[in-house]
Amino acid sequence: MRDTRDDTSAAARQLRLSRRTFLRGVGVTMALPWMESLPVWGAETMAGDVPTAMPKRFAALFWGNGVNGNHWWAKGSGASMELGKSLEPMEKLKAKMNFIDGLFNKSATGVGIHPGQTGNLLSGVPLLKGAVLKGGISMDQVLANRIGQDSVQPSMVLGCEQPITGYHESNFSMAYSSHISWQSAESPVPMEVYPSLAFDSLFENRGNRRAQSILDRVKDDAASLSRKVSGSDKTKLEEYLTSVREVEKRIDRARGDQSKAVENARGKDVPVVMMKRPDNGLPEDIREHMRLMCDITALAFQTDKTRVVTLLLCRDLSGLFYPFLDVRKSHHSASHEDLTDGYERITRYYCSQLAYLAGRLDAMPEGSGTVLDNSCLLLLSNMWSGNRHDSSRLPILTVGGLGGALETGRVLSYVDKPQPEKKVCGLYLSLMDKMGVKLDRFGDADTRLVGV
Amino acid sequence: MTFRTAVLILSASWAVSAALAAPSADAVERDLGRRFDSAVRPFLDRFCLGCHDKEKPKGDFDLSPYLRVEDVVRDAARWEIVLDKLQTGDMPPKKAEQHPTSAQNVAVVAWIQELRMHEAKKHAGDPGPVLARRLSNAEHDNTIRDLTGVDLRPTREFPVDPANQEGFDNSGESLAMSPALVKKYLGAARRVADHAVLDLDGIAFASHPMRVHTDRDKYGILRIVDFYQRQPTDLADYFAAAWRHRHRAALGQPRATLAATAASAKVSPGYLAMIRTALDAKEDVGPMLKVRSMWRALPEPERGKPAPDVRKACEAIRDHVMALREKIRPEVPNLSVPETNPSAQALVLWKDRQWAANRRTYDPALLQVDGVVKEPGKKGAEAESYNEVKVRKKKKREADPDLAVPSEPASRARHEAAFARFAALFPDTFYVKERARSFVDPEEERANGNVGRLLSAGLHNQTGYFRDDGPLYDMVLDDAGRRELDRLWDEFEMIASVPQRMHQSTVYFERTDSRFLSDAEFDFARAEDKDCTSEAKVKKLADLYHAKAVRVGASPLALEAIKDHFERVRRNISRVEQMARDAEPKHMEALVRFAQKAYRRPLAPEDRESLIAFYRTSRERDGLTHDDAVRDGIASVLMSPHFSYRVDLGEPLGRTDVGRPGPRPNGSKPAGVPAGAVRLSDPALASRLSYFLWASAPDAELLAHAAAGDLHRPAVMAAQARRMVQDDRIRGLAVEFGGHWLDFRRFEEHNAVDRARFPAFDDALRQAMFEEPVRYILDVVRADRSVLEFIESDHTFVVPVLAKHYGFPVPQGASNQWVRVDDVRRQGRGGLLPMSVFLTANSPGLRTSPVKRGNWVARRVLGERIPPPPAAVPELPADEAKMGGLTLRETLAKHRDDPNCAACHERFDSLGLVFEGFGPIGELRTQDLGDRPVDTRAVFPGGSEGSGVTGLQAYIRAHRQGDFLDNLCRKLLAYALGRSLILSDEITVRDMRAKLAANGQKFGTLVDTIVTSPQFLNKRGPSDLANP
Repeated sequence: MRDTRDDTSAAARQLRLSRRTFLRGVGVTMALPWMESLPVWGAETMAGDVPTAMPKRFAALFWGNGVNGNHWWAKGSGASMELGKSLEPMEKLKAKMNFIDGLFNKSATGVGIHPGQTGNLLSGVPLLKGAVLKGGISMDQVLANRIGQDSVQPSMVLGCEQPITGYHESNFSMAYSSHISWQSAESPVPMEVYPSLAFDSLFENRGNRRAQSILDRVKDDAASLSRKVSGSDKTKLEEYLTSVREVEKRIDRARGDQSKAVENARGKDVPVVMMKRPDNGLPEDIREHMRLMCDITALAFQTDKTRVVTLLLCRDLSGLFYPFLDVRKSHHSASHEDLTDGYERITRYYCSQLAYLAGRLDAMPEGSGTVLDNSCLLLLSNMWSGNRHDSSRLPILTVGGLGGALETGRVLSYVDKPQPEKKVCGLYLSLMDKMGVKLDRFGDADTRLVGV
Repeated sequence: MTFRTAVLILSASWAVSAALAAPSADAVERDLGRRFDSAVRPFLDRFCLGCHDKEKPKGDFDLSPYLRVEDVVRDAARWEIVLDKLQTGDMPPKKAEQHPTSAQNVAVVAWIQELRMHEAKKHAGDPGPVLARRLSNAEHDNTIRDLTGVDLRPTREFPVDPANQEGFDNSGESLAMSPALVKKYLGAARRVADHAVLDLDGIAFASHPMRVHTDRDKYGILRIVDFYQRQPTDLADYFAAAWRHRHRAALGQPRATLAATAASAKVSPGYLAMIRTALDAKEDVGPMLKVRSMWRALPEPERGKPAPDVRKACEAIRDHVMALREKIRPEVPNLSVPETNPSAQALVLWKDRQWAANRRTYDPALLQVDGVVKEPGKKGAEAESYNEVKVRKKKKREADPDLAVPSEPASRARHEAAFARFAALFPDTFYVKERARSFVDPEEERANGNVGRLLSAGLHNQTGYFRDDGPLYDMVLDDAGRRELDRLWDEFEMIASVPQRMHQSTVYFERTDSRFLSDAEFDFARAEDKDCTSEAKVKKLADLYHAKAVRVGASPLALEAIKDHFERVRRNISRVEQMARDAEPKHMEALVRFAQKAYRRPLAPEDRESLIAFYRTSRERDGLTHDDAVRDGIASVLMSPHFSYRVDLGEPLGRTDVGRPGPRPNGSKPAGVPAGAVRLSDPALASRLSYFLWASAPDAELLAHAAAGDLHRPAVMAAQARRMVQDDRIRGLAVEFGGHWLDFRRFEEHNAVDRARFPAFDDALRQAMFEEPVRYILDVVRADRSVLEFIESDHTFVVPVLAKHYGFPVPQGASNQWVRVDDVRRQGRGGLLPMSVFLTANSPGLRTSPVKRGNWVARRVLGERIPPPPAAVPELPADEAKMGGLTLRETLAKHRDDPNCAACHERFDSLGLVFEGFGPIGELRTQDLGDRPVDTRAVFPGGSEGSGVTGLQAYIRAHRQGDFLDNLCRKLLAYALGRSLILSDEITVRDMRAKLAANGQKFGTLVDTIVTSPQFLNKRGPSDLANP
């Protein structure tokens, strides 16, 4: 049988090329996958006209060096919750938020300051000093491995500040200050700091495009080999070729669904999502940089391109400057005066990043609620006081209800609890549990956090 | 259609195509036909079809459609079961109304056997239907290991491969492909590609992914440190070697040259010569006097007596040298500039370079003139200009005769010159493996715990590496060593972008912690920007930095250091970027080489072109970086069926006899190629051999023979097989063949043991149990022992944890040290049968299972065909302690009272009962878990009696040795060919048996016979094109 697909795949290649050029210039326009009126994602996510259960998403947002402790507090619950000054950006969303206080990561205490307090924030395992890195897989990557397989990208690991290496005086590698997401005990996940590339990887399906190129070549090889063999051998090679084609088709389908969605939406007065492709290079202004990363995260969640995002807003030992906050010193230096007004403004600024992302997700209707309602955003830092480098108490906020699995509008204080009852890894176990990933133990915890 | 029927159809069509080749068999066939009509068919009608007719045949076994001999031939495998049932007397069953006479039975049995032999002979040498197939998971893992040099096991998360009817997972009959598996293949291929190291002139693979800077740092650093640590830099070794050379005559080697002495002492010949010369030099003052006298005082060896041990004494000389060396080491002060942080790179690297430049000098000011101790101070005008901030804190210095020099000028000068020679010969260190912060007192840093910063430049909070190995390079290494070390550093700097990252790190640090660059004029320099390390930006920064240093009043020395620093940065970045550009085409060549190795054959021009085109498209159309495009190229090679499949291509028709390519006159076949077959191509044969013996790809030597075209020569094949058996990769045979044959391949995941009841069973013991038969089989294979040692021997192999489990004396040595132990029959061990892996795998947890153990012996060892148990069999209690009044043995006896069960159970229960002296994890025992004494006696099939493992061994020796040998031959042949056996293989099996018997039953005979058999060397010709 002659394979006529070669011609069409050449055409498809052309099409991909032109689509790419289009994306480069403009950005993406796409319809929403979960709009009830728009059954465009095929049978996999739609049962008849009714979408199956909404996917749950998780994002961890990190900034380094702690808060201004005088202004990082919340009291009461629900609509009547009172917020400290640094939490003001969350005012509108406080009913969907949890203020969690007093948790800590045992392995990040008593090991000196900074890198040793950071590299294991999401894994809870002890870190190794010296030349060779060793930590543990982080909870975002556990989630990516378990639930990320259903989306274009298992996870996105983004950063607004480049990772650094070298040695800190505590003899930990500074790499620990830059990497909170780890794919294995030995290796951090490469972090994307360029908004344009993060955008491409999602909306151009960069990973899938590369997979497709590889599969194209495999098909050529299999077909040419098949011509050299006879009967029964041909059958076996055909089996391979068919399987390869099937995988390609699935990739194509995902791509096709997207264009179909846009087409369906056109002229129907249905909301579509648009985003301009960010410019190449790094934004000059850190505010712009963070906004873009939040936009990409929001869009990725809304279009279900990925369900797990880790966003390092700034490193521990950050070298970012905030002239727009009227702070002259760099982030790390400023954190040594953590109770100043300046550092309060920095703290509030990071809280406002969470508020921005949460606000965007909350403006995206999905099912009977919003994308935010089906997500959990976790904002955390690696210490309480940048002056005292106190990692025995972590500032933590969560926003979003995970489709009702996570009750919100609460202040959860573990400050006075004994150590075994205030493990941040217990919180991770609880959150993973609510996302359908049930583990017996994680990091140093083997029980879920009481009260979540 | 099952695979099995597919195979049979293929064999049948083969029969049709090859039938013409044996016309002389007509007479035999006529006779077989007559006897079928006169004896066989009537036998079926009368004794079989009552139950096995078209309508609801018992056991789904319908014997009605066999109306002609050809029908029987077509279903040869089915008729093997008929043969088996008639031979064992299982059929017709006892309760049947009619039974054939013994003569009737014999006639049919003889007919089936003759038919089989006739068919086998007719098609002798038929290569059989060997399907194209993907690599099994084990083959895939092994092949990746041999291809990359790293054991990455990419199939770890693949589903388990199914086995064919012979029990092996290496055949096209059972190895299927699916879209889900293609996805996993793709993921695995990309993960392997993530490990690629795109180095200076090719592609290597790391044991860890190479995706982030820290991965790349780790790779480069550990290779350099490993190189350093391999070098001979222990002075004691040199003093000892010099001593051996001095006394070479007395030591019985009068002709030993210095170079030979160095070689045998594993020290550098060049450096040994320097030391030997210095030790012989006539010096009358200075530190060498004492060194020489210590060395000369080493005991003198006496002729004919054992050489005295001088190690300790040589260490004492070394320690003296190193201590003195430390006392005269020149101090390097910190360089500083107002307003800068002491960790500014220009300043720290300046200090590092000062250190490095003074490894072989000393500070005369530290000598004690006429014994007078001076306190350290600034060194005059020069020191002032250093802007010295923090000198290493000195301990209070004391009078030291080793440092004393006279004040008389001429004499003092001679002493100082002697110290200079001493310092030049003995550097303060040969290389610096790790460095804490350079600008902080080293002792303080040690107290801070700042150790293990491999190759660090001693910066604070910045990326920085510094090479400091001059003395090693200049004095110890030979040219090859120097080239290797240079290469390692170049490679590290290139793959980890060291100078670029150091510079970015400076920019970050000096704008934040240091704040030297916090003025607005430096805002253009941002560490995050891609062009942070561009020539223009480095230059601009250098100028502004220097200007600011001038403004703040830096000393001339510091200004010079700053200028020099930025110049070095510029040069280093440019050098490393150039190396990266130069390496790109080399990566392409390496990618092509990688594909050739992966495809296990010479590349065709189109293979090469398509790979290069793929790279180009990735870069030009898809905009990938060079690194990503090469990685995708690697992944595409691993996804290609040329890699992931084994397709046995035949030799192109028209090729001549072995070793002489070219057209053959009249297109005839080379001798030994059966009708309807073609020779395997040489590369395909190389792969067949290597996947048989290694479960992995052929190595360079094998492929060289394939390229030379002489692999089809029996002598070459046999020689290669013998070579390969001695290679470590032969473990592939022990694990994959042995593991599947004896059904322990997946024991490493065995989870049926209740660890609360058997706390001795931990992961280490489980691993050791798995490994025991592997070691045992390896030993038989490598030492070419008799295969009967599989059944009976007086030895086995243990590690400490297994020795403990067996109650053997625990051998001294590491926990992973395997040793052979003899004389173990007394403890019930020896040979494969009583190995705990089999006893455990065939126990359902809290009791033993004579049924499973016996069935294992019958099926796996003796090759009996035993049908699966019927569905409605009552379960035995899971726990021996809860058996009620009966023992397991009594319960089984009761079970055999049921004639339905007896037919099978009589064949194996006894073979399992003899193991009752071993508990559920193979431990020796005298009582079962219900505290009843165990009984290991049994009456074997045929009526002989015996007890325990030795009883079973005696029974096998006396009655079943042929069955065992036959089974082993069949299994090994099926494994080697990658297919289930067909009738015509009987001839080869007979051949194997005959040669075994003639060669002391040695394992190697089996390998030799298989690799020179027509099945192994050929494949079916294109005639099977015609098959549906």
